[in-house]
Amino acid sequence: METLLQQVINGFSLGSVYALIAVGYSLVYSILLFSNFAHGGFLVIGGYICYYTLAAVGNNIWVASLLAFLGAGVSAVLVERGAYKPIRERTNVTLYLLIASMGMSIVIENIFVVTVGGRFRALPPVIPMTPVSVFGLATTSAFDILSLVMAMIFLAGLQVFLSTTKWGLAIRAASYDLKTAGLMGVNVNKLISIVFFVAGLLAAVGGIFLSVRYTLYPQLGLITIKAFVAAVIGGLGSLPGAVVGSLILGLAEMLTAGFISSQMRDIVVFGMLVLTLLWRPTGLFGKHISEKV
Amino acid sequence: MLTKEPLLSVRNLHVSYGAIRAIRGIDLDVYDGEIVCVIGANGAGKSTLMNAIIGNVKREEGTLLLDGKPLAGRSYQAVAQGVSLAPEGRKVFAPLTVHENLMMGAFPIKERSKIGEDLDWVFTLFPRLKERKDQHAGTLSGGEQQMLSIGRALMSSPRLLLLDEPSLGLAPIIIRDIFKELKRINDEGVTILLVEQNARQALLLSHRGYVMQTGRMLMEGLAADLLKNPDVEAAYLGTAKK
Repeated sequence: METLLQQVINGFSLGSVYALIAVGYSLVYSILLFSNFAHGGFLVIGGYICYYTLAAVGNNIWVASLLAFLGAGVSAVLVERGAYKPIRERTNVTLYLLIASMGMSIVIENIFVVTVGGRFRALPPVIPMTPVSVFGLATTSAFDILSLVMAMIFLAGLQVFLSTTKWGLAIRAASYDLKTAGLMGVNVNKLISIVFFVAGLLAAVGGIFLSVRYTLYPQLGLITIKAFVAAVIGGLGSLPGAVVGSLILGLAEMLTAGFISSQMRDIVVFGMLVLTLLWRPTGLFGKHISEKV
Repeated sequence: MLTKEPLLSVRNLHVSYGAIRAIRGIDLDVYDGEIVCVIGANGAGKSTLMNAIIGNVKREEGTLLLDGKPLAGRSYQAVAQGVSLAPEGRKVFAPLTVHENLMMGAFPIKERSKIGEDLDWVFTLFPRLKERKDQHAGTLSGGEQQMLSIGRALMSSPRLLLLDEPSLGLAPIIIRDIFKELKRINDEGVTILLVEQNARQALLLSHRGYVMQTGRMLMEGLAADLLKNPDVEAAYLGTAKK
Protein backbone atom coordinates (compact mmCIF):
# COMPACT_ATOMS: atom_id res chain seq x y z
CA MET A 1 0.00 0.00 0.00
CA GLU A 2 2.79 2.38 0.88
CA THR A 3 4.65 1.50 -2.30
CA LEU A 4 1.48 2.08 -4.29
CA LEU A 5 0.93 5.57 -2.93
CA GLN A 6 4.59 6.39 -3.33
CA GLN A 7 4.65 5.20 -6.92
CA VAL A 8 1.45 7.09 -7.69
CA ILE A 9 3.03 10.33 -6.46
CA ASN A 10 6.23 9.60 -8.39
CA GLY A 11 4.14 8.75 -11.43
CA PHE A 12 2.28 12.04 -11.31
CA SER A 13 5.55 13.86 -10.79
CA LEU A 14 7.17 12.23 -13.83
CA GLY A 15 3.94 12.55 -15.80
CA SER A 16 3.67 16.27 -15.07
CA VAL A 17 7.18 16.80 -16.47
CA TYR A 18 6.18 14.85 -19.57
CA ALA A 19 3.12 17.09 -19.71
CA LEU A 20 5.28 20.23 -19.94
CA ILE A 21 7.03 18.76 -22.95
CA ALA A 22 3.93 17.21 -24.50
CA VAL A 23 1.88 20.40 -24.21
CA GLY A 24 4.44 22.49 -26.09
CA TYR A 25 4.79 19.82 -28.70
CA SER A 26 1.02 19.53 -29.04
CA LEU A 27 0.65 23.30 -29.27
CA VAL A 28 3.03 23.43 -32.23
CA TYR A 29 1.24 20.46 -33.79
CA SER A 30 -2.15 22.10 -33.41
CA ILE A 31 -1.01 25.20 -35.32
CA LEU A 32 1.27 23.79 -38.02
CA LEU A 33 0.06 20.15 -38.14
CA PHE A 34 3.48 18.51 -38.01
CA SER A 35 5.41 16.62 -35.36
CA ASN A 36 8.29 18.85 -34.34
CA PHE A 37 11.03 16.32 -33.61
CA ALA A 38 13.42 19.13 -32.70
CA HIS A 39 11.30 19.74 -29.60
CA GLY A 40 13.65 17.57 -27.52
CA GLY A 41 16.48 19.86 -28.60
CA PHE A 42 14.82 22.83 -26.84
CA LEU A 43 14.79 20.81 -23.64
CA VAL A 44 18.50 20.04 -23.95
CA ILE A 45 19.30 23.70 -24.71
CA GLY A 46 17.42 24.69 -21.55
CA GLY A 47 19.26 22.05 -19.54
CA TYR A 48 22.72 23.18 -20.67
CA ILE A 49 21.98 26.88 -20.20
CA CYS A 50 20.86 26.07 -16.68
CA TYR A 51 23.96 23.93 -16.02
CA TYR A 52 26.47 26.53 -17.19
CA THR A 53 24.68 29.47 -15.59
CA LEU A 54 24.67 27.61 -12.28
CA ALA A 55 28.44 27.19 -12.62
CA ALA A 56 28.92 30.84 -13.57
CA VAL A 57 26.70 32.61 -11.04
CA GLY A 58 27.23 30.29 -8.10
CA ASN A 59 24.26 28.00 -7.91
CA ASN A 60 21.47 30.57 -8.14
CA ILE A 61 18.68 28.38 -9.52
CA TRP A 62 16.35 31.34 -10.11
CA VAL A 63 18.73 33.19 -12.42
CA ALA A 64 19.76 29.94 -14.08
CA SER A 65 16.23 28.76 -14.80
CA LEU A 66 15.11 32.17 -16.00
CA LEU A 67 18.00 32.28 -18.47
CA ALA A 68 17.28 28.68 -19.48
CA PHE A 69 13.60 29.48 -20.15
CA LEU A 70 14.44 32.53 -22.24
CA GLY A 71 17.31 30.81 -24.05
CA ALA A 72 15.25 27.76 -24.98
CA GLY A 73 12.29 29.94 -26.02
CA VAL A 74 14.47 32.11 -28.24
CA SER A 75 16.20 29.04 -29.72
CA ALA A 76 12.82 27.57 -30.58
CA VAL A 77 11.85 30.80 -32.36
CA LEU A 78 15.17 30.81 -34.26
CA VAL A 79 14.71 27.18 -35.32
CA GLU A 80 11.26 28.04 -36.63
CA ARG A 81 12.44 31.16 -38.46
CA GLY A 82 15.53 29.50 -39.88
CA ALA A 83 14.35 26.01 -40.72
CA TYR A 84 10.55 25.89 -40.88
CA LYS A 85 9.38 29.30 -42.09
CA PRO A 86 11.17 29.09 -45.46
CA ILE A 87 9.50 25.72 -46.03
CA ARG A 88 5.99 26.59 -44.92
CA GLU A 89 6.04 29.72 -47.08
CA ARG A 90 6.75 27.59 -50.15
CA THR A 91 4.52 24.58 -49.63
CA ASN A 92 1.52 23.32 -47.71
CA VAL A 93 2.98 19.83 -47.44
CA THR A 94 3.70 19.37 -43.73
CA LEU A 95 5.81 16.27 -44.39
CA TYR A 96 8.69 18.56 -45.37
CA LEU A 97 8.43 20.32 -42.03
CA LEU A 98 8.58 16.96 -40.27
CA ILE A 99 11.73 16.02 -42.17
CA ALA A 100 13.30 19.42 -41.46
CA SER A 101 12.54 18.97 -37.77
CA MET A 102 14.31 15.60 -37.73
CA GLY A 103 17.30 17.34 -39.28
CA MET A 104 17.19 20.14 -36.70
CA SER A 105 17.00 17.61 -33.89
CA ILE A 106 20.24 16.00 -35.12
CA VAL A 107 21.86 19.43 -35.59
CA ILE A 108 21.04 20.58 -32.04
CA GLU A 109 22.17 17.31 -30.47
CA ASN A 110 25.48 17.39 -32.31
CA ILE A 111 26.15 21.04 -31.57
CA PHE A 112 26.34 19.92 -27.93
CA VAL A 113 28.36 16.80 -28.71
CA VAL A 114 30.92 18.94 -30.55
CA THR A 115 31.08 21.90 -28.17
CA VAL A 116 30.64 20.47 -24.68
CA GLY A 117 31.16 16.78 -25.30
CA GLY A 118 28.90 13.80 -24.88
CA ARG A 119 29.55 13.05 -21.21
CA PHE A 120 26.85 12.92 -18.58
CA ARG A 121 26.70 15.88 -16.25
CA ALA A 122 24.92 16.16 -12.95
CA LEU A 123 23.40 19.49 -12.01
CA PRO A 124 24.71 20.79 -8.68
CA PRO A 125 22.31 20.04 -5.81
CA VAL A 126 20.17 23.13 -6.27
CA ILE A 127 16.87 21.31 -6.01
CA PRO A 128 16.29 19.65 -2.63
CA MET A 129 16.11 15.86 -2.74
CA THR A 130 15.29 15.36 0.95
CA PRO A 131 12.73 12.66 1.74
CA VAL A 132 9.28 13.96 2.49
CA SER A 133 6.62 12.05 4.31
CA VAL A 134 3.17 12.31 2.74
CA PHE A 135 0.61 12.40 5.58
CA GLY A 136 2.68 9.69 7.24
CA LEU A 137 1.42 7.21 4.64
CA ALA A 138 4.27 7.19 2.19
CA THR A 139 7.69 8.69 1.63
CA THR A 140 8.68 10.57 -1.46
CA SER A 141 11.34 13.15 -2.24
CA ALA A 142 10.98 16.90 -2.11
CA PHE A 143 12.13 16.91 -5.73
CA ASP A 144 9.14 14.87 -6.85
CA ILE A 145 6.71 17.16 -5.05
CA LEU A 146 8.49 20.25 -6.36
CA SER A 147 8.49 19.10 -9.99
CA LEU A 148 4.81 18.23 -9.74
CA VAL A 149 3.96 21.64 -8.27
CA MET A 150 6.12 23.60 -10.72
CA ALA A 151 4.71 21.72 -13.70
CA MET A 152 1.18 22.44 -12.51
CA ILE A 153 2.02 26.13 -12.05
CA PHE A 154 3.38 26.40 -15.59
CA LEU A 155 0.48 24.47 -17.10
CA ALA A 156 -1.99 26.67 -15.24
CA GLY A 157 -0.07 29.72 -16.48
CA LEU A 158 -0.40 28.49 -20.04
CA GLN A 159 -4.11 27.92 -19.54
CA VAL A 160 -4.55 31.47 -18.23
CA PHE A 161 -2.55 32.86 -21.17
CA LEU A 162 -4.64 30.93 -23.69
CA SER A 163 -8.02 31.68 -22.18
CA THR A 164 -7.72 35.31 -21.11
CA THR A 165 -5.36 37.15 -23.48
CA LYS A 166 -5.88 38.44 -26.99
CA TRP A 167 -2.96 36.43 -28.39
CA GLY A 168 -4.18 33.39 -26.45
CA LEU A 169 -7.53 33.66 -28.20
CA ALA A 170 -5.74 34.07 -31.53
CA ILE A 171 -3.72 30.91 -30.85
CA ARG A 172 -6.89 28.97 -30.06
CA ALA A 173 -8.48 30.25 -33.27
CA ALA A 174 -5.35 29.47 -35.28
CA SER A 175 -5.21 25.94 -33.92
CA TYR A 176 -8.58 25.43 -35.58
CA ASP A 177 -7.84 27.34 -38.79
CA LEU A 178 -4.55 29.19 -39.23
CA LYS A 179 -5.41 30.75 -42.57
CA THR A 180 -8.67 32.24 -41.39
CA ALA A 181 -6.92 33.56 -38.26
CA GLY A 182 -4.69 35.47 -40.68
CA LEU A 183 -7.81 37.02 -42.26
CA MET A 184 -8.74 38.43 -38.85
CA GLY A 185 -5.72 40.72 -38.91
CA VAL A 186 -3.45 38.40 -36.94
CA ASN A 187 0.17 38.46 -38.02
CA VAL A 188 0.51 34.73 -38.52
CA ASN A 189 4.32 34.69 -38.40
CA LYS A 190 4.29 36.53 -35.11
CA LEU A 191 1.71 34.10 -33.75
CA ILE A 192 3.82 31.12 -34.77
CA SER A 193 6.87 32.68 -33.11
CA ILE A 194 4.90 33.17 -29.89
CA VAL A 195 3.80 29.53 -30.00
CA PHE A 196 7.38 28.33 -30.50
CA PHE A 197 8.63 30.58 -27.71
CA VAL A 198 6.06 29.17 -25.30
CA ALA A 199 6.81 25.61 -26.43
CA GLY A 200 10.55 26.15 -25.99
CA LEU A 201 10.07 27.71 -22.56
CA LEU A 202 7.92 24.83 -21.31
CA ALA A 203 10.41 22.32 -22.73
CA ALA A 204 13.18 24.05 -20.76
CA VAL A 205 11.18 23.71 -17.53
CA GLY A 206 10.85 20.00 -18.26
CA GLY A 207 14.51 19.84 -19.29
CA ILE A 208 15.75 21.18 -15.97
CA PHE A 209 13.70 18.68 -13.98
CA LEU A 210 14.75 15.82 -16.24
CA SER A 211 18.42 16.85 -15.95
CA VAL A 212 18.11 16.63 -12.19
CA ARG A 213 16.29 13.29 -12.36
CA TYR A 214 18.50 11.57 -14.95
CA THR A 215 21.63 13.81 -15.43
CA LEU A 216 22.23 15.96 -18.50
CA TYR A 217 23.65 14.77 -21.81
CA PRO A 218 23.16 15.75 -25.47
CA GLN A 219 20.75 12.88 -26.15
CA LEU A 220 18.47 13.72 -23.22
CA GLY A 221 16.09 15.15 -25.80
CA LEU A 222 15.26 11.62 -26.90
CA ILE A 223 13.06 11.38 -23.83
CA THR A 224 10.69 13.60 -25.79
CA ILE A 225 9.58 10.40 -27.50
CA LYS A 226 7.73 9.62 -24.27
CA ALA A 227 6.06 13.01 -24.48
CA PHE A 228 5.14 12.34 -28.13
CA VAL A 229 3.58 9.05 -27.06
CA ALA A 230 1.71 10.87 -24.29
CA ALA A 231 0.46 13.46 -26.77
CA VAL A 232 -0.74 10.75 -29.15
CA ILE A 233 -2.51 8.87 -26.35
CA GLY A 234 -4.18 12.11 -25.25
CA GLY A 235 -5.00 13.12 -28.82
CA LEU A 236 -2.61 15.09 -31.04
CA GLY A 237 -3.18 18.79 -30.96
CA SER A 238 -5.33 18.72 -27.83
CA LEU A 239 -3.73 20.38 -24.81
CA PRO A 240 -5.93 18.75 -22.13
CA GLY A 241 -5.23 15.51 -23.99
CA ALA A 242 -1.48 16.08 -23.73
CA VAL A 243 -1.72 16.63 -19.98
CA VAL A 244 -3.98 13.64 -19.32
CA GLY A 245 -1.92 11.40 -21.64
CA SER A 246 1.28 12.44 -19.86
CA LEU A 247 -0.12 11.74 -16.41
CA ILE A 248 -1.38 8.33 -17.52
CA LEU A 249 2.01 7.56 -19.01
CA GLY A 250 3.99 8.69 -15.96
CA LEU A 251 1.70 6.68 -13.73
CA ALA A 252 1.98 3.58 -15.90
CA GLU A 253 5.78 3.86 -15.94
CA MET A 254 6.14 4.25 -12.21
CA LEU A 255 3.63 1.52 -11.37
CA THR A 256 5.43 -0.84 -13.72
CA ALA A 257 8.74 0.08 -12.14
CA GLY A 258 7.34 -0.39 -8.65
CA PHE A 259 5.41 -3.61 -9.08
CA ILE A 260 6.82 -5.44 -12.08
CA SER A 261 10.28 -4.37 -13.15
CA SER A 262 12.04 -1.16 -14.06
CA GLN A 263 13.11 -2.69 -17.34
CA MET A 264 9.51 -3.22 -18.39
CA ARG A 265 8.74 0.53 -18.33
CA ASP A 266 9.32 1.18 -22.01
CA ILE A 267 7.45 -1.93 -23.10
CA VAL A 268 4.42 -0.69 -21.20
CA VAL A 269 4.75 2.82 -22.66
CA PHE A 270 4.98 1.69 -26.27
CA GLY A 271 2.41 -1.05 -25.69
CA MET A 272 -0.01 1.69 -24.62
CA LEU A 273 0.82 3.60 -27.80
CA VAL A 274 0.06 0.57 -29.96
CA LEU A 275 -3.21 -0.08 -28.14
CA THR A 276 -4.26 3.56 -28.50
CA LEU A 277 -3.57 3.53 -32.20
CA LEU A 278 -5.54 0.30 -32.60
CA TRP A 279 -8.59 1.27 -30.56
CA ARG A 280 -8.75 5.03 -30.79
CA PRO A 281 -6.36 6.43 -33.40
CA THR A 282 -7.34 10.04 -32.63
CA GLY A 283 -6.44 9.58 -28.95
CA LEU A 284 -8.57 10.37 -25.93
CA PHE A 285 -9.34 13.99 -26.82
CA GLY A 286 -8.27 14.02 -30.46
CA LYS A 287 -10.00 16.14 -33.01
CA HIS A 288 -11.20 14.53 -36.17
CA ILE A 289 -8.51 15.20 -38.72
CA SER A 290 -11.01 15.20 -41.57
CA GLU A 291 -12.45 18.45 -40.23
CA LYS A 292 -9.12 20.19 -40.45
CA VAL A 293 -8.32 19.54 -44.07
CA MET B 1 -19.87 59.17 -59.28
CA LEU B 2 -17.20 58.29 -61.79
CA THR B 3 -15.27 61.51 -61.32
CA LYS B 4 -14.33 60.59 -57.73
CA GLU B 5 -11.27 58.55 -56.81
CA PRO B 6 -12.30 54.95 -56.24
CA LEU B 7 -12.04 53.47 -52.73
CA LEU B 8 -10.57 50.31 -54.20
CA SER B 9 -8.87 50.27 -57.55
CA VAL B 10 -7.48 47.09 -59.09
CA ARG B 11 -5.37 47.36 -62.24
CA ASN B 12 -4.03 44.54 -64.38
CA LEU B 13 -4.15 41.92 -61.60
CA HIS B 14 -2.60 38.52 -62.35
CA VAL B 15 -2.67 35.51 -60.03
CA SER B 16 -1.40 31.99 -60.72
CA TYR B 17 -1.40 28.74 -58.79
CA GLY B 18 1.68 27.09 -60.24
CA ALA B 19 0.94 26.59 -63.92
CA ILE B 20 -2.75 27.46 -63.55
CA ARG B 21 -3.44 31.09 -64.36
CA ALA B 22 -6.47 31.85 -62.21
CA ILE B 23 -6.65 35.60 -62.90
CA ARG B 24 -5.33 37.02 -66.15
CA GLY B 25 -5.30 40.78 -65.99
CA ILE B 26 -8.30 42.22 -64.22
CA ASP B 27 -9.35 45.86 -63.72
CA LEU B 28 -11.96 46.69 -61.13
CA ASP B 29 -13.08 49.81 -59.26
CA VAL B 30 -15.22 50.11 -56.16
CA TYR B 31 -16.37 53.59 -55.12
CA ASP B 32 -17.06 54.74 -51.59
CA GLY B 33 -20.58 53.81 -50.52
CA GLU B 34 -21.24 51.35 -53.31
CA ILE B 35 -22.28 47.73 -53.39
CA VAL B 36 -20.49 46.06 -56.28
CA CYS B 37 -20.86 42.42 -57.23
CA VAL B 38 -18.76 40.12 -59.34
CA ILE B 39 -20.77 37.30 -60.86
CA GLY B 40 -19.58 34.34 -62.83
CA ALA B 41 -19.59 30.57 -62.99
CA ASN B 42 -17.75 28.20 -60.72
CA GLY B 43 -14.01 28.40 -61.40
CA ALA B 44 -14.11 31.85 -63.01
CA GLY B 45 -11.59 33.10 -60.44
CA LYS B 46 -13.99 35.03 -58.22
CA SER B 47 -12.70 33.65 -54.91
CA THR B 48 -9.13 34.09 -56.05
CA LEU B 49 -9.89 37.74 -56.74
CA MET B 50 -11.16 38.17 -53.17
CA ASN B 51 -8.15 36.41 -51.71
CA ALA B 52 -5.78 38.45 -53.85
CA ILE B 53 -7.34 41.72 -52.68
CA ILE B 54 -6.95 40.80 -49.01
CA GLY B 55 -3.47 39.39 -49.54
CA ASN B 56 -4.33 35.78 -48.81
CA VAL B 57 -2.84 34.61 -52.11
CA LYS B 58 0.24 36.05 -53.78
CA ARG B 59 -0.38 38.63 -56.49
CA GLU B 60 1.84 37.99 -59.43
CA GLU B 61 1.40 41.34 -61.09
CA GLY B 62 -0.88 44.34 -60.83
CA THR B 63 -1.58 47.45 -58.79
CA LEU B 64 -4.06 47.57 -55.95
CA LEU B 65 -4.90 50.87 -54.32
CA LEU B 66 -7.11 51.47 -51.31
CA ASP B 67 -8.07 55.13 -51.14
CA GLY B 68 -5.11 55.96 -53.38
CA LYS B 69 -2.58 54.15 -51.20
CA PRO B 70 -1.03 50.79 -52.17
CA LEU B 71 -2.87 47.90 -50.52
CA ALA B 72 -0.52 45.70 -48.49
CA GLY B 73 0.21 42.22 -49.78
CA ARG B 74 -0.20 40.47 -46.43
CA SER B 75 -3.64 39.98 -45.02
CA TYR B 76 -2.94 41.23 -41.50
CA GLN B 77 -1.72 44.53 -42.97
CA ALA B 78 -4.61 44.74 -45.42
CA VAL B 79 -7.05 44.28 -42.53
CA ALA B 80 -5.31 47.07 -40.64
CA GLN B 81 -5.76 49.29 -43.72
CA GLY B 82 -9.51 48.76 -43.60
CA VAL B 83 -10.41 45.75 -45.75
CA SER B 84 -11.97 42.63 -44.35
CA LEU B 85 -13.26 39.39 -45.82
CA ALA B 86 -16.07 37.03 -44.92
CA PRO B 87 -14.56 34.01 -46.68
CA GLU B 88 -16.24 31.40 -48.82
CA GLY B 89 -17.71 28.60 -46.73
CA ARG B 90 -18.03 30.99 -43.76
CA LYS B 91 -14.96 29.59 -41.96
CA VAL B 92 -16.17 30.38 -38.45
CA PHE B 93 -13.95 29.09 -35.64
CA ALA B 94 -16.18 26.17 -34.66
CA PRO B 95 -14.67 25.38 -31.24
CA LEU B 96 -14.81 29.01 -30.11
CA THR B 97 -17.97 30.69 -28.86
CA VAL B 98 -19.86 33.23 -30.96
CA HIS B 99 -18.53 35.99 -28.71
CA GLU B 100 -14.94 34.75 -29.07
CA ASN B 101 -15.35 34.60 -32.84
CA LEU B 102 -16.44 38.22 -32.86
CA MET B 103 -13.52 39.18 -30.61
CA MET B 104 -11.20 37.51 -33.12
CA GLY B 105 -12.68 39.80 -35.76
CA ALA B 106 -11.81 42.77 -33.55
CA PHE B 107 -8.18 41.64 -33.25
CA PRO B 108 -6.64 44.75 -34.87
CA ILE B 109 -8.75 47.17 -32.80
CA LYS B 110 -6.96 48.53 -29.76
CA GLU B 111 -9.62 50.63 -27.98
CA ARG B 112 -11.98 48.61 -25.82
CA SER B 113 -14.78 51.17 -26.17
CA LYS B 114 -14.62 50.86 -29.97
CA ILE B 115 -14.87 47.07 -29.74
CA GLY B 116 -17.91 47.43 -27.47
CA GLU B 117 -19.63 49.78 -29.94
CA ASP B 118 -18.96 47.48 -32.88
CA LEU B 119 -20.20 44.49 -30.89
CA ASP B 120 -23.46 46.31 -30.11
CA TRP B 121 -23.83 47.21 -33.78
CA VAL B 122 -23.28 43.61 -34.94
CA PHE B 123 -25.80 42.41 -32.33
CA THR B 124 -28.37 44.94 -33.64
CA LEU B 125 -27.81 43.74 -37.19
CA PHE B 126 -27.97 40.07 -36.22
CA PRO B 127 -29.94 39.67 -32.97
CA ARG B 128 -29.65 35.89 -33.34
CA LEU B 129 -25.93 36.18 -32.60
CA LYS B 130 -26.65 37.97 -29.35
CA GLU B 131 -29.02 35.21 -28.26
CA ARG B 132 -26.34 32.64 -29.00
CA LYS B 133 -23.24 34.53 -27.96
CA ASP B 134 -22.00 31.89 -25.50
CA GLN B 135 -22.68 28.98 -27.82
CA HIS B 136 -19.91 27.29 -29.78
CA ALA B 137 -19.92 28.52 -33.36
CA GLY B 138 -19.90 24.94 -34.63
CA THR B 139 -23.39 24.40 -33.20
CA LEU B 140 -24.96 27.23 -35.23
CA SER B 141 -27.07 26.66 -38.32
CA GLY B 142 -25.62 27.52 -41.72
CA GLY B 143 -27.46 30.84 -41.88
CA GLU B 144 -26.34 31.79 -38.38
CA GLN B 145 -22.76 30.87 -39.23
CA GLN B 146 -22.96 33.18 -42.26
CA MET B 147 -24.26 35.97 -40.04
CA LEU B 148 -21.37 35.29 -37.66
CA SER B 149 -18.86 35.32 -40.51
CA ILE B 150 -20.18 38.70 -41.72
CA GLY B 151 -20.41 40.06 -38.18
CA ARG B 152 -16.88 38.92 -37.47
CA ALA B 153 -15.62 40.71 -40.60
CA LEU B 154 -17.41 43.89 -39.46
CA MET B 155 -15.68 43.83 -36.06
CA SER B 156 -12.48 45.21 -37.56
CA SER B 157 -14.44 48.33 -38.67
CA PRO B 158 -13.64 47.89 -42.34
CA ARG B 159 -14.16 50.58 -44.95
CA LEU B 160 -14.45 47.86 -47.56
CA LEU B 161 -16.23 44.61 -46.75
CA LEU B 162 -15.46 41.68 -49.05
CA LEU B 163 -18.02 38.88 -49.18
CA ASP B 164 -17.22 35.58 -50.85
CA GLU B 165 -20.41 33.68 -51.78
CA PRO B 166 -22.52 34.74 -48.80
CA SER B 167 -25.49 32.75 -50.12
CA LEU B 168 -23.63 29.47 -50.52
CA GLY B 169 -25.64 26.51 -49.28
CA LEU B 170 -28.38 28.57 -47.65
CA ALA B 171 -32.14 28.33 -48.00
CA PRO B 172 -33.71 31.10 -50.15
CA ILE B 173 -35.57 32.65 -47.21
CA ILE B 174 -32.33 32.94 -45.23
CA ILE B 175 -30.50 34.39 -48.22
CA ARG B 176 -33.19 37.08 -48.40
CA ASP B 177 -32.68 37.95 -44.71
CA ILE B 178 -28.93 38.13 -45.06
CA PHE B 179 -29.07 40.28 -48.21
CA LYS B 180 -31.46 42.63 -46.41
CA GLU B 181 -28.88 43.06 -43.66
CA LEU B 182 -26.17 43.66 -46.26
CA LYS B 183 -28.22 46.56 -47.59
CA ARG B 184 -28.46 47.93 -44.06
CA ILE B 185 -24.72 47.54 -43.48
CA ASN B 186 -24.11 49.46 -46.70
CA ASP B 187 -26.59 52.17 -45.67
CA GLU B 188 -24.53 52.67 -42.53
CA GLY B 189 -21.47 53.53 -44.58
CA VAL B 190 -19.63 50.28 -45.32
CA THR B 191 -18.69 49.79 -48.96
CA ILE B 192 -19.29 46.22 -50.12
CA LEU B 193 -17.71 44.09 -52.81
CA LEU B 194 -19.28 40.66 -53.14
CA VAL B 195 -18.78 37.72 -55.43
CA GLU B 196 -21.75 35.45 -56.03
CA GLN B 197 -22.92 32.56 -58.11
CA ASN B 198 -26.41 33.56 -57.17
CA ALA B 199 -26.34 36.27 -59.85
CA ARG B 200 -29.91 37.55 -59.67
CA GLN B 201 -29.88 38.15 -55.91
CA ALA B 202 -26.47 39.77 -56.13
CA LEU B 203 -27.42 42.11 -59.00
CA LEU B 204 -30.68 43.08 -57.30
CA LEU B 205 -28.71 44.16 -54.24
CA SER B 206 -25.82 45.89 -56.02
CA HIS B 207 -25.33 49.27 -57.66
CA ARG B 208 -22.88 47.96 -60.21
CA GLY B 209 -21.74 44.56 -61.38
CA TYR B 210 -18.91 42.80 -63.14
CA VAL B 211 -19.15 39.53 -65.05
CA MET B 212 -16.12 37.29 -64.77
CA GLN B 213 -15.17 34.32 -66.91
CA THR B 214 -12.04 32.15 -66.74
CA GLY B 215 -9.87 34.76 -65.11
CA ARG B 216 -11.02 37.77 -67.15
CA MET B 217 -13.67 40.45 -66.84
CA LEU B 218 -16.23 39.92 -69.56
CA MET B 219 -18.57 42.83 -68.87
CA GLU B 220 -19.22 45.58 -66.40
CA GLY B 221 -22.07 47.97 -65.89
CA LEU B 222 -24.91 49.17 -63.73
CA ALA B 223 -26.55 46.24 -62.01
CA ALA B 224 -29.94 47.16 -63.46
CA ASP B 225 -28.51 47.08 -67.00
CA LEU B 226 -26.79 43.74 -66.44
CA LEU B 227 -30.06 42.29 -65.17
CA LYS B 228 -31.69 43.22 -68.48
CA ASN B 229 -28.76 42.17 -70.66
CA PRO B 230 -29.81 39.15 -72.76
CA ASP B 231 -26.36 37.49 -72.63
CA VAL B 232 -26.17 37.79 -68.85
CA GLU B 233 -29.73 36.55 -68.60
CA ALA B 234 -29.00 33.49 -70.68
CA ALA B 235 -25.70 32.59 -69.06
CA TYR B 236 -26.18 33.50 -65.42
CA LEU B 237 -29.80 34.23 -64.61
CA GLY B 238 -31.18 30.99 -65.93
CA THR B 239 -33.92 32.47 -68.11
CA ALA B 240 -34.15 31.82 -71.83
CA LYS B 241 -32.64 34.28 -74.30
CA LYS B 242 -35.38 36.40 -75.81
